[in-house]
Amino acid sequence: MKVTIKSWTGVATWRWIANDDNCGICRMPFDASCPDCKIPGDDCPLVWGQCSHCFHIHCIMKWLHSQQTSHICPMCRQEWKFKE
Amino acid sequence: MTEAVEDIFVRIERAFPILSEKLLHTKEECTEEEFANLAEDVRVLKLSQFVEDIVIHHIEQYIRWHVAPVFWEKFENTEDSKRGFELFKSAVDDLYSNLTEFLPLLKKLEYLRQNQDVVTDPSSVENDIEARFKLIVRATLLSQLPLYHECIIEHFYKIAFNVFCNSDNSSPDVSVNEIQCVGCAQEVENCQCQMIVYIFHETNRKLIELKLLERLVGNVLTSLIHIRIENHVIQTCDKTFDVSQLIPLENWLETVVMSWLIRIYSGGFSKTVTLSDEIRNAINKFKQKLSHFLYETYTKIRINHLFNIIIEYPESQPAVDDLRICLERTDQRKVLIKNLQEAIKTRLLHPGVNTPDIVTAYIAAIKALKHLDSTGVLLEAVTEPIKSYLRSREDTVRSVVNSLLDDSPSELADELVKGECLQLDDGSADDETEDWEKWMPDPVDADPAKSTQRKVSDIISTLVNVYGSQDLFVNEYRTLLADRLLSQLNYHTEREIRHLELLKRRFGENQLHYCEVMLKDVYDSKRIDGNIHSDTSYNLQRELFPTSALILSAQFWPPFKEDWKLKLPNIVQNQLNKYVKAFEALKGNRTLCWKPHLGNVSLEIELKDRKLDINVTPVHATIILHFQDKSEWALQDLAEVIHAPATVLRRKMTFWVSQGLLKETSNDVYVLQEESTSKNRLSTDIVEEEETESVMASASDQREEELQVFWSYIVGMLTNLDSMPIERIHQMLKMFASQGPGAVECGLPELRQFLDRKVREHQLLLSGSFYRLPKS
Ligand SMILES: [Zn+2]
Ligand SMILES: [Zn+2]
Ligand SMILES: [Zn+2]
Repeated sequence: MKVTIKSWTGVATWRWIANDDNCGICRMPFDASCPDCKIPGDDCPLVWGQCSHCFHIHCIMKWLHSQQTSHICPMCRQEWKFKE
Repeated sequence: MTEAVEDIFVRIERAFPILSEKLLHTKEECTEEEFANLAEDVRVLKLSQFVEDIVIHHIEQYIRWHVAPVFWEKFENTEDSKRGFELFKSAVDDLYSNLTEFLPLLKKLEYLRQNQDVVTDPSSVENDIEARFKLIVRATLLSQLPLYHECIIEHFYKIAFNVFCNSDNSSPDVSVNEIQCVGCAQEVENCQCQMIVYIFHETNRKLIELKLLERLVGNVLTSLIHIRIENHVIQTCDKTFDVSQLIPLENWLETVVMSWLIRIYSGGFSKTVTLSDEIRNAINKFKQKLSHFLYETYTKIRINHLFNIIIEYPESQPAVDDLRICLERTDQRKVLIKNLQEAIKTRLLHPGVNTPDIVTAYIAAIKALKHLDSTGVLLEAVTEPIKSYLRSREDTVRSVVNSLLDDSPSELADELVKGECLQLDDGSADDETEDWEKWMPDPVDADPAKSTQRKVSDIISTLVNVYGSQDLFVNEYRTLLADRLLSQLNYHTEREIRHLELLKRRFGENQLHYCEVMLKDVYDSKRIDGNIHSDTSYNLQRELFPTSALILSAQFWPPFKEDWKLKLPNIVQNQLNKYVKAFEALKGNRTLCWKPHLGNVSLEIELKDRKLDINVTPVHATIILHFQDKSEWALQDLAEVIHAPATVLRRKMTFWVSQGLLKETSNDVYVLQEESTSKNRLSTDIVEEEETESVMASASDQREEELQVFWSYIVGMLTNLDSMPIERIHQMLKMFASQGPGAVECGLPELRQFLDRKVREHQLLLSGSFYRLPKS
């Protein structure tokens, strides 16, 4: 017997490669969107800080915006710098 | 003077022999001249009123002792209908001729009255001697009414009325070979009909003249006509619901029944002009009663068939229209409710009827009953049992959602296209804004407890309200959508998008947001797949076989059934790993997790004597790929290799056995069949996957999980507050447990079902209407 695979359509779920499951700011799963968004993934991406913490981009932007003086990471209180 | 007075009394007695209790005719009857003189003397002496009274008194006595008993003597309680017929006829004839003998007497009294000078207070005296006489006759007769007086009347009228009604047909349907006459049941050449009709009319005429018709035979005659009406209604209206019957019935009453009445009251003539006002009034009153009876009869028949009428709705709409008019005229709503509830219980709500049929019947009931009673009160009263029964069936929501999304024309799909907004019946609706000028009171049989909340909602809303919450429906739809998308796997979503748009108009954007993301996933997958295939580094590695993927946003899809994780053959797994690498390269910081058991595989299988093109699931593909390397497998070994439970694998093997590729040679040992055993199998058969089992966790499982959240709240409440009625629990849950994003809603009916189950499981106690925790 010779079996030839003519095509294979699989099913997969996508997920962010992050060291945590939930966003430390909004507490929603990274793989869901932030509370302000409706669509996860491309429309509500994650960003990483140099401290290696990551958040929904919309969450950290909102957080930084609310901090008048210094920009610090809400998790580790180090100065927030976007990872290049 | 005394002498003259004495003399006048003798003369009066001679003129009115009844005063000496004698028979009416004595030998020495006074002559006309003598009577004229007497009348003159009576006038002068102003004795006419006195004479009239005393004569009338004696007439009454005479009738009481000699006429009435003779009349009633004939009213036997006999079984013999012919004898009864004769008895009644002769009773009426004799009575009539007996009373005729009083006529000369009455004429004389009338003469005395006309002859007097002053008319003594006309109001105190009956207008007419004859009327006074007839009143006495009636009163005296009826005061001696015997117990079984209706017996011979019934015999008489049963025979006579039957003949009479048949004589009514202009073309009697006596066929040539008929030996018996339909009317009199005699042999045809011996037919008595004409005679009987003559007697019928003669008897009626006499009774009418004596004003005894209604009082004496009214009941019997009415019930005979009722039977005729009943038969007619049954004959014309039974089992056909698509034609309105009211106008034909009214016409029938107006023509046929009216002609009976007129002929009965006119003693055989059929022209109204000859009738007096009095008789015409009597006929009209009679007709009104009969008309009411006709409506009542028709209503009853329609009520008895209401279940069938509902099932046949909307074809049966004329019958419903009729019934609506009938209900306004008759007082039968209670009967209707009781009857229909009973029919529903015995014909619909039992294990023999499958859920989609119950749902279909329920939809028909909603439509028909709303048409019948626009206030919704009937609907509410009758369909409550259907609702609670549907609540107890596990597949209710699924069958409602299925028919909602049915592509073939279905009631619900049509309703969905109408796109009205969902109205939830959880008491939160604010009906304060309703136009008070258009307010109408509820019908008297409305349940006052529900009065303020009642709204005539549309069908989808009503169905959703079976559970009091739309969560279940939305979840079921999500599961159904997931199953459809995962079984199609072809990136085509036009149909689903159309449904989703319709559902969004119903349930609102928020409820269906998850489904929207699911559809977007399919759309995005197509784009990503395209990108990956145009990626040079992916192409450099050469695909061993064309690979594509449906990439899901896990958070938005319903949970998958994942009791075990399939281990794919290495060549497949390697290929899928490459796909993941390409995805990671495309979407930095993101990766893919395969659901190995999901998907669709197209295989070409070449055997010694045949070739097979087949689409299968990854599990089936994995199995057959392993048989490529080794033609015989023990089930247990294969199960270990592909990481599947043996029981599941055994079920999957049956597919290949049924395809003739594998054979179970001994217990749990399978061998590849290189050569076909059955000749008739075409080598290029394309066989579809046979199982269509859902890959999703069932909606009720999901709901159960959600309700468990409530349970912890409820236990907390009852610990603190001891016992609570359901309404209060519901309120508290709404306040505390339904806040924030992802909150679960729970309608009152669903909550009741949930609590009742907890009671059955002995986790709750119900006393009166209060729930409490069992003492531990
Ligand atoms: Zn966030
Ligand atoms: Zn966002
Ligand atoms: Zn940090």
